[in-house]
Amino acid sequence: MPAIECRGLSKYYGDVRGIEDVSFTVEDGEVFGFLGPNGAGKTTAIRTLLGFLSPTNGGATLLGHDATDPVDSRRARERIGYLPGDPGLDRDRTAGAFLDHQAALRGESSRDRLVERFGLDESRRVGDLSRGNRQKVALVAAFMHDPELLLLDEPTSGLDPLLQEEFASLVRERVDDGASVLLSSHVLGEVAALCDRVGVLREGHLVAVESVSELRSRGGKQVRVRVAEDIDRDDFERRGIMNLRVGETVSFTWTGEYDALIDLLSEYTVRDLDVVDAPLEEAFMTFYDGDVPGPIGGGERRGSRETSGSESAERPTAESGGDTR
Amino acid sequence: MSDRTAPWLAIARYDAAGRARGSLVLTGLLSAFLLLFLAFFPSLATADADLDAYVEAFPPAIREAFGIIAISSIEGFLAVEFYQFAWLLLVGLYLAYLAGGTIAGDVASGRMDLTLSAPVARRDVAIGRFLGLVPLVVLLNVALPVVAYVGVLAVGEAIAVERLLAVHALAVPYHLTCVGLGLAVSTLVSRPGVAQRVALGALFALFMFESLVASTEFSAAADLSPTAHYDPSAVLVLGEYDLAGAAILTAAAAVLVALAVVRFRFADLSG
Repeated sequence: MPAIECRGLSKYYGDVRGIEDVSFTVEDGEVFGFLGPNGAGKTTAIRTLLGFLSPTNGGATLLGHDATDPVDSRRARERIGYLPGDPGLDRDRTAGAFLDHQAALRGESSRDRLVERFGLDESRRVGDLSRGNRQKVALVAAFMHDPELLLLDEPTSGLDPLLQEEFASLVRERVDDGASVLLSSHVLGEVAALCDRVGVLREGHLVAVESVSELRSRGGKQVRVRVAEDIDRDDFERRGIMNLRVGETVSFTWTGEYDALIDLLSEYTVRDLDVVDAPLEEAFMTFYDGDVPGPIGGGERRGSRETSGSESAERPTAESGGDTR
Repeated sequence: MSDRTAPWLAIARYDAAGRARGSLVLTGLLSAFLLLFLAFFPSLATADADLDAYVEAFPPAIREAFGIIAISSIEGFLAVEFYQFAWLLLVGLYLAYLAGGTIAGDVASGRMDLTLSAPVARRDVAIGRFLGLVPLVVLLNVALPVVAYVGVLAVGEAIAVERLLAVHALAVPYHLTCVGLGLAVSTLVSRPGVAQRVALGALFALFMFESLVASTEFSAAADLSPTAHYDPSAVLVLGEYDLAGAAILTAAAAVLVALAVVRFRFADLSG
């Protein structure tokens, strides 16, 4: 049974589209990421799944329960942890009083451990806490009943890097214990570090679902080359090359095979060459930036995955410096 | 997870605990207000002016609005100067205002998302938020008769204890109706500040409407207002206890809560 099954989910606010025809599955034990800029529909999707918004069309199940049925979904919510991007906490209550209340509603088997782990002072008023500490309170509330499914909306906004790391290991621990996770973010690195698969949301549509390693390989190689000769831009305007910038050095994203790249460069006297895995941003941008030339068909993309896919998880750096000939 | 508190009770408790300090402060202020007026009574009672003849000369609508029957007795004085104004209007409006901010406020602040991500039915939230204001209603109507009784004795007067208790007992269904009105508005209007003002304004408009039509041929329409079913002057001065009115108010409170439950059950939480 998948942790989340979302079938053609649409939500309109009057005439304004929130999300449209969003379908995806989060498998049991999987960490699935929603990636997209602000306003792409990530929060709408999560809030519709949780039943805060009733879908205009489509449906979903959470842990096998109908998410759109108020009674059935309550059974799922017994085992769900939710962390909103900007959690609404009572500023004039203490963190302890707030957590007591949340515990009364959902249970608190791991509360003490989490409070200690995050060094939270429960006696302080929520309004007196820093943004990061308020986020900790919400984190404890989301995790303290050992949920089997976590819905995390922009979870690390407001957390310092140290805390982000702590948060990431907390998520991994829950996943090791068998939990499934749906996490939204506009920060690619966060998604890449935690998720098995990523769904890219764009203007309310789920435009792609990829495994993280696939997304990396699709980004191809970032090539920076300095040659002795003057460069004619036209020589580089060819299949397999994206994001071309011609200056003192030429830089581009290479999505073709290595041999073709070597053939291309063999026409020049290479003074300096740098070939690294393209940052995930580049792969991500291919979904977003319509102006990026995408001269290669699916077949050649697949070819490029073969050359780099196996190594992509470690993000290796292939470098060769100096004159090659 | 049967060992957990019922969600509606947990929500009511949390809400009431959050209001504890404000409730005590309000009780203290109203007690001081009551004692202040009582302190004026001796000089008023010994004045030469015929106050009852004076108020008799007021237009009927004014007499209706402020429940003026007689003000020269301690009962009449308390009814006009305190209960008709503070209990019927001030506390009623304030309760409607507080309740108006409950659901709308939770939705707007995102607090409702956290509550409803737990296995909680929306019905439980609406009922819990209603019940969260009940302790305030009870506190006011338990503390103030004691304060009033002691105050009356302190100024050397006597008052029928039974009437004093009745004026507060009958205030409870009225106050609960005010809370219910605010709660219902809170599920209908999404912005909390607006919901609070709409709830307060609606109750005040009903009060004005009742006062204006009471002395016309459309007086039956005045029954639409909750204020028509709680008459502190009749209780204190005449010893008339409107039990039917109390029943109507209790039913109205239940209907308003039910309306809030139904309305909230299908609402999108778009704060």
